[in-house]
Amino acid sequence: MKRYIHCKACDIQYGLNYIIKRLKKSAGKTIIIMKLTAVILLVATLQVSASSYAQKVTLHETNSKLKSVLNVIRKQTGYYFIFNKAVLQKVKPVTINVTDENLKEVLNEIFKGQNLGYEIKEKVIVITQMVRPESSSSKDGVSIPPVNIKGKVVDPKGKPLIGASIRVKGNTKGTVTDENGNFALQAVENDAVLLISYSGFITQEIALNGRTEFAVSLKEDVQSLSDVVVVGYGTQSKRAVTGSVTSVNYDKFKDRSFSNVTQALAGQLPGVNISQSQGAPGSSPVVRIRGTSSITAGTNPLYVIDGLPVENFNLNLINPQDISSVEVLKDASSAAIYGSRGANGVIIITTKLGKAGITNVSAGYEFGVQTVNRQIKMMNAPQFVQYYVDAHNNAWTAAGGKASDPNSVRGPAYRIPEDFTNNPQQFGEGTNWQDVMFHTALSHNAQLSVSGGSDKTQFLISGAYLDQDAVLDQNYYKRLALRVNLKHQISDKFTIGANISLTSIYDRTDGTQGKADVVSLGVTSDPIFPVYNENGNLGFRDPKSTWYRFTQYSDLQLWNPYSLTREINKQDKTYNTLATGYAEYKIIEGLKFRTSINANLTNIRHNYYQNALQKYGYSSAGPAIANNNTTSVLNWLSENTLNYEKQFNKHKLTALVGYTAQHQRDEYNDVSSSNFPNDLVPTLNAGTVTAGTSLASEWALLSYLGRVNYSYADKYFLTATLRRDGSSRFGENNKYGYFPSASAGWLISEEGFMKDQVKWVSSLKLRASYGIAGNNQIPNYGSIGLLSSSNYTYGSTVVNGLSINNISNRDLKWEKTTQYNAGLDIAMFNSRLNLTLDAYYSVTKDLLLNVPVPDITGFANQLTNIGKMRNQGIEIGFTSKNLIHDFTWTTDFNFSVNRNKVLELGPNNAPLNYNDFSVAVRTEVGQPVSNYYGYIFDGVYQNQAQISSSPHDPTTTPGDPIVRDVNGDGKITADDRTNIGNYQPKFISGITNTFGYKGLEFSFLFQGSYGGKIANQLVRYSGLWNGGRNAYADAANYWRSEANPGDGKHFKPTVEPKGLQNQFSSYWIEDGSFLRVKNIRLSYALPKSVFSRMAAVKGLRLYVNAENVFLFSKYTNYDPENTTYAATTYSPTATSVSPIPTGAFLGVDYGSYPVPRVITFGVKADF
Amino acid sequence: MVGLISIMATGCKKSFLDLAPISNSNASNFYKTQADFDLAVNAAYATLYVFFAPQGGVSYFSEQMSDNATIYNVNGIQADKKAFKDFTLNSSNSQVYLFWQQSYRSLFNVNIVLDNIDAANIDAAYKDQVKAQMRFLRGMYYFYMVQMWGDVPLLTKTVSAEESYSILRAPKAEVYAQVISDLQFASATLPLSSAITEPGHATKGAAQALLGKVYLTMGDKAQAATALQQVVTSGQYSLLPQYASLWVVTNKNTKESIFEIQFKGGAAGVPLSDYYNEYSPYENFSFTLYAGGMNQVTDDLYNEFESTDARRDITVSAGYTNKAGVFIPIKYPRKWTDANAPVINSREASSNNFMVLRYADVLLMLAEATADPIYLNQVRSRAGVPLYGGAGYPSGAFPTLALAIEHERRVELAIEFQRGFDLRRTGRAVPVLTAKGKPVTDQKLLLPVPEIVRQQNSEITQNIGY
Repeated sequence: MKRYIHCKACDIQYGLNYIIKRLKKSAGKTIIIMKLTAVILLVATLQVSASSYAQKVTLHETNSKLKSVLNVIRKQTGYYFIFNKAVLQKVKPVTINVTDENLKEVLNEIFKGQNLGYEIKEKVIVITQMVRPESSSSKDGVSIPPVNIKGKVVDPKGKPLIGASIRVKGNTKGTVTDENGNFALQAVENDAVLLISYSGFITQEIALNGRTEFAVSLKEDVQSLSDVVVVGYGTQSKRAVTGSVTSVNYDKFKDRSFSNVTQALAGQLPGVNISQSQGAPGSSPVVRIRGTSSITAGTNPLYVIDGLPVENFNLNLINPQDISSVEVLKDASSAAIYGSRGANGVIIITTKLGKAGITNVSAGYEFGVQTVNRQIKMMNAPQFVQYYVDAHNNAWTAAGGKASDPNSVRGPAYRIPEDFTNNPQQFGEGTNWQDVMFHTALSHNAQLSVSGGSDKTQFLISGAYLDQDAVLDQNYYKRLALRVNLKHQISDKFTIGANISLTSIYDRTDGTQGKADVVSLGVTSDPIFPVYNENGNLGFRDPKSTWYRFTQYSDLQLWNPYSLTREINKQDKTYNTLATGYAEYKIIEGLKFRTSINANLTNIRHNYYQNALQKYGYSSAGPAIANNNTTSVLNWLSENTLNYEKQFNKHKLTALVGYTAQHQRDEYNDVSSSNFPNDLVPTLNAGTVTAGTSLASEWALLSYLGRVNYSYADKYFLTATLRRDGSSRFGENNKYGYFPSASAGWLISEEGFMKDQVKWVSSLKLRASYGIAGNNQIPNYGSIGLLSSSNYTYGSTVVNGLSINNISNRDLKWEKTTQYNAGLDIAMFNSRLNLTLDAYYSVTKDLLLNVPVPDITGFANQLTNIGKMRNQGIEIGFTSKNLIHDFTWTTDFNFSVNRNKVLELGPNNAPLNYNDFSVAVRTEVGQPVSNYYGYIFDGVYQNQAQISSSPHDPTTTPGDPIVRDVNGDGKITADDRTNIGNYQPKFISGITNTFGYKGLEFSFLFQGSYGGKIANQLVRYSGLWNGGRNAYADAANYWRSEANPGDGKHFKPTVEPKGLQNQFSSYWIEDGSFLRVKNIRLSYALPKSVFSRMAAVKGLRLYVNAENVFLFSKYTNYDPENTTYAATTYSPTATSVSPIPTGAFLGVDYGSYPVPRVITFGVKADF
Repeated sequence: MVGLISIMATGCKKSFLDLAPISNSNASNFYKTQADFDLAVNAAYATLYVFFAPQGGVSYFSEQMSDNATIYNVNGIQADKKAFKDFTLNSSNSQVYLFWQQSYRSLFNVNIVLDNIDAANIDAAYKDQVKAQMRFLRGMYYFYMVQMWGDVPLLTKTVSAEESYSILRAPKAEVYAQVISDLQFASATLPLSSAITEPGHATKGAAQALLGKVYLTMGDKAQAATALQQVVTSGQYSLLPQYASLWVVTNKNTKESIFEIQFKGGAAGVPLSDYYNEYSPYENFSFTLYAGGMNQVTDDLYNEFESTDARRDITVSAGYTNKAGVFIPIKYPRKWTDANAPVINSREASSNNFMVLRYADVLLMLAEATADPIYLNQVRSRAGVPLYGGAGYPSGAFPTLALAIEHERRVELAIEFQRGFDLRRTGRAVPVLTAKGKPVTDQKLLLPVPEIVRQQNSEITQNIGY
């Protein structure tokens, strides 16, 4: 006996079993128990110092072994269990969540359906096997027939909850409440447990216990800390999150009309700057998480779609209606689990899965209207003619002529069409090309999804079709998205699942390239020309047209935009399959193995046919050209993780280790044809092939990852992660990198001194984190010296040549961002006010810099790890439930500040300069990345005296720009250029107000950005004379003479710009600050009474959604968020880092696609 | 199962991550065999396409920065392109930087061959031929660069970025010494033109002619005469009877040609010649589809031709007739016309070769070096114009032999990238161009050192005047 008494707790049951066995042989039951009691009491005194035991039990167990649950009860109550070992062999795992519940209730719950009975004898509980059919159960073993039940569900105020879900635990039976909150269910097992749930309320479980009528009052779920958020490779309770993670669920974007979910999040996430750089349907926004951490490597965040990390993913491929949540991992400690790809932040997209219970069919339809609500004010025909004449006369005068000289004595560049001097009235007001190019566009979006399942199997099947016409001529966007998500539990230990999505997009997009692309042409084409000439052709280059007389003036511009939209037929077809299959196996209690295989297969086909001559509308007026190219990408990932969870007393530990392998291969083919006999057959076979190529490229990534979460008393939280990544992209000496992180959280509100003392604080958490994340966004073979072909000819023989393309770098490695984050989450006044504050400081070192090297090496730059950059900032987010009763009013507000500074650059810290079509940007130490770099424009010289009295360029004459002598050396030279602004805003902010009353909901979102500057590159065409393009209406107020000086802001035009007349200066820079009514939304959930005759309908909702409603901005062009240059990315087939990283030119607008106002009307029904 | 697959797939970690480029060759195993060097040599020759491109640095320096040519509307940054003819260049001019880059990139492609050839295990005679060809190209490139920028960083091998910081501008004399050394080696080693089976390779004659030009530029007329005489006495070259036949697109690598850049044209994917469309009036759309508007001929050059000189209309078109039948009076070069070139990818796929050195140039240089008009008159005789010193010669306009040679070179070699260099060599640039209204000073005759070059290495000096 003594042996058992002295053994540890884990052995006690075995010991008791031994006792039972012995006792069973005895006859007198009472005596047995009495003896037992003596034994047990002895055990108790030995094991536990406290002698009093509560009869109340608190349990939080999920699928736990009965044996271990009993052990917990024993510890809490001091009661001991006696049972035959065989009895417990076929028991089911136990799931139970009770707090301070009576022991008896708890035991009833645990043994329900277990085919076991029990008896409590003093402090001993004897467990016995029951001999009865498994299907029916009751405490005393007598079978009770099913009953009919009914009830009502109300909120704490007694208001009926309409559409609340009532489900019988353990089977598929269920219903929803009607408009009075009533429900009824037939034939429910007498011992059943009901699950009653309603969005925004805490789910309640009620055991029938013989009752048939229920009045249920649900409590509001104000405790947001109980939410679960998705983090890398798993989920975490919000309570335990120690990094900086912003989570957005479906409700935040369900009615928004965007095809890309991130567009719907603009202005809603602190620390995340989402700007719509182009308004074309399907064009992805620029997403910047906590500033920019790279100069020449890519800067897009990593997207993780249902576990598959994908770089530069086109999020339009995921139907937003299929998304259940979007999580943004902002700090390096959260992103470090994604290692070498986390430095730009991580956006995790999780798609929906059905819930066990009732099958839900949801159907929706949206009708949308898009309009361009802002036009750029351009010159009309009379203004343009005057401008043209003056620009030519000014240049001719400067070349020594007289303004009155006829064309016959002028050089070709100075001649003026007779029409302009003799009969300028013939043009009338001229053509407004923006009216020609933009129209009101409609869209249709239909959605259907079916979801549901049982306890073992859940599913979601959805289909959606979006058919969107675009505001720009001939542009459209069509998307068909199908999805099947499945999860099935094969056994207690084994679960499998699959998410499969198929998306196809057919679209045509023009105009996003700026410069001579369609939108830019629509702005800069000359107003004197008609859309169609008298022959029905588009251009003045039609030799049979009377307009042809203008061709001899080579600086009249009509690249009729229709020649690109209507004389070119093109289309992109994108087919994407994203599939994930996974299996989870529970090895032992708490230890789970998960393996998944993910694949993303993308095929993009581009077809292009340009009609012969393009109706003389474009500069080339050439023969027909056709082009067809295909991009095919297969990305696969194998992911294997082990997850261990263990709780003992107040300690809770979860650990994760994983191994993943990912590989991508890109293939690209391109074939072009010309020499088409006519325009009837647009495929390449009709012409002769003139060029063809095929390219392939690969990358691979091998990773080992680990994470430990530890919490004590649900108050103190620690997380540590480590990832080791090996990448094919980096130099052979640096294939592997380590990315560690550590973070801690302290839920102060759980401390005794807060919990009872400070009533107004519902919860308060402090967080601190540190982590290192990497950036690997360089070309696939960036570290390898490539040879490229440069052929020569000897006589008539073409010979191959090979030359070195780039300098190899065996030491090339990741860019590493180290970030410190401190955060505070506080919920106040019964969680009516929630506030999240974060401050961060991050330093990126070993910048993957395509660093300029002296050109005498033969190369302009070399991809190397040099330089350092800092980002620091503050983010504030708060949600205030101002009114929560019948009339609800919620305010969500966010505010972010980021400051970016370059700390170190390449050799000698030489600044990095990039120029593209006059606009210059410079990155230098001590300054933020990519300052605009140019002269300071100080107005217009009025007369020679003014010129003579100030430093000036020798070519300066009255009417020319005044340029500031920045370095004060008395001369105007290239050294007088300076920093003239930066696109990065000083702060960004957003505020959403949501009002609700009964089924009615109304919300509006203001989005603002302050302090960023835009370089308006269209100034090159339209702000000053350039080859006869139409100019801004404002520019018509140019200096004509001292007596007629214009507005003092616009200098005289000239066709032969000299000196500083067309140099990049502050004249090009505009304030990018704006305030926008980003979204207004009104929705109405119809009361059930309206559609009570349609029994199948569970809910019906109507809504109106308006995007980009009003813009308050002084910007000249369409939209201050417009930027023609995209964030830097590298196409998979890129062989070298581009000498001009486009990301360096963010904020430069060369005529971008306007962001339209979109109003959608929608209806959604649930069945 | 899935785990197994992935472990199998990644079983050999090294091969999983060591992915070699698929669509490009890899530099690590190159420069080993004779076949490798053939490819590398071909790529070195291909740098000629860039160096002597119609919109290349030599073109701007010789034609725009003289009195021969202008541009009206052109594609790209117009102001930076127009600054050459206006002599308003500054150190931030993007074209000047581009030419600097192109020059050193060309040198890299030459030097890398020289760097690697000695160590390669291949035939010694082959090595010598390769070296001589590379040194010819290198000597030629430095010769042009030293004229364009004055002192330039002098590299005779490829250097790493680290090494490059210690390489500053070498004095002109040092650069010239290298040029002469390279060209002397080339002229000693290279075969005669007649021994060349593949036209386009550098020859002894090319090296000698260039060496003559270098000496002439350095002011050493005696050495120049010696080198140029070797070309003449080699018997490899002669003037074609008809000046016009020099410019027939199919007439390539003639007896008059000494060094000629080779193009194929006519189809996609082969080296195309751009002189025809780049020199056509901008957006004419009547005879070329693409038209660059580069090197449009000035009235001054047009009028330089004697009225009886047939070379004028072979060299310059007085304008063109547009599709409506209207004559547009824009003068443009027509030597490199390829009227039947097919349009490939919206551009004329012309095949005109470009002669860097031809016999007429040698004769005129010889006249300059020896002050013997006999060579001048060989050129005039072929052109069918009155001989110098003979009846009908416009001696009023060109009273001295020097001026006569200057005139003759301008018309004979118009738009062949000679004029700007000629004026600078003879010290005539400032007076001639000033008289024509160009704001020229001695300092502005050189290009500025691009500011980016000096930002990267602040010890690199700037030319005076910039």
